[in-house]
Amino acid sequence: MHIPDGIVPVQIGIGGYVVTGLITWYSLRQINRMKDPMQGVPKAALLTTAFFVASLIHLPIPPASVHLVLNGMLGCVLGYYAFPAILIGLFFQAVTFGHGGLSTLGINGLIMGIPALLAYHLFQLRQTFGRQLKPRLAFGLFAFLAGTFSLGLSALIFFTIVIVTIPSNLDAATERAAVFTLLLAHIPLALIEGTFTAMLVLFLERVKPELLQGEW
Amino acid sequence: MVKWWMPVICLMVFQAERAIAHGVALNYKTTQALEIQAKYDTGEPMKQAQVTVYAPNREKPWLQGRTDDKGRFTFTPDASIPGSWEVKVRLAGHGDVVTIPVGATQADASAKEGSGYTPLQKGVMTASVVWGLIGTALFFWRRK
Repeated sequence: MHIPDGIVPVQIGIGGYVVTGLITWYSLRQINRMKDPMQGVPKAALLTTAFFVASLIHLPIPPASVHLVLNGMLGCVLGYYAFPAILIGLFFQAVTFGHGGLSTLGINGLIMGIPALLAYHLFQLRQTFGRQLKPRLAFGLFAFLAGTFSLGLSALIFFTIVIVTIPSNLDAATERAAVFTLLLAHIPLALIEGTFTAMLVLFLERVKPELLQGEW
Repeated sequence: MVKWWMPVICLMVFQAERAIAHGVALNYKTTQALEIQAKYDTGEPMKQAQVTVYAPNREKPWLQGRTDDKGRFTFTPDASIPGSWEVKVRLAGHGDVVTIPVGATQADASAKEGSGYTPLQKGVMTASVVWGLIGTALFFWRRK
């Protein structure tokens, strides 16, 4: 899910940085408008830890091996803090494990950050569309949908970028076939991430529900 | 009519046999080949990954191929082109580039690991980052 250095053209890398910069600025502005912007920093730091370590947890889903991302979970719990948190996590993943790269930090931020923000809004929809449901069921269901959707969208953006930027000297058909195989392996992963997100949200809702309301 | 064809057919068969019966000469010379081993960070080999070899200061690929089922790719660089050879390995958007010195320094070039952190180094780095993030959380939590 992380695009390493040297895979995409330089223009894509620079474009990624520009758009990531704009979204980071927008996210920080939204955070700054809160009553106490510092309030969400501890949980953002803790979930950045989870995001950072998640890429080390590999799941053997034949025919590939994939790793957890947890961007949907960050979106549900952190809201607008999720984007800067993911960016910081990606930076440490790149310099520590070599997952991704510094030249592609911007584009990887978009791949994982935009779905996280959308997951946050999807999770918030429970207040509109989940009213008919029992509160716990609404929490669990919308968290599952947000987690699954977020990982699925990240995978789609990643593979679209990879396919669009296949260098002309490579065998495009072979690369496309490999990409589709890996994309299929991400379908079960999306369901696993959705389940993880639902489990965490239900746990938080039981032990510290204010965490999900943005009241740390 | 039939008799007229016979010598021609015999001649053709003879020619064909002569071609098959050519002598074979096997020669050999010692070259320095390079073996690339492509693995994911899980240790799993990158099977059938596309490999592109670039000679020094040349934009066009010098050689293209694929890794075998153990993630290995072997090639012999042209010793008359000394310098830094680049080998790019890519599979489904994952990959890396390795630069290999060929020529004067080739004698010194031994096997080299890619990114090369030991599990202990990785563990210490991970623990440091995790501790830094938890420390940040605790710092802001206490400030409240």
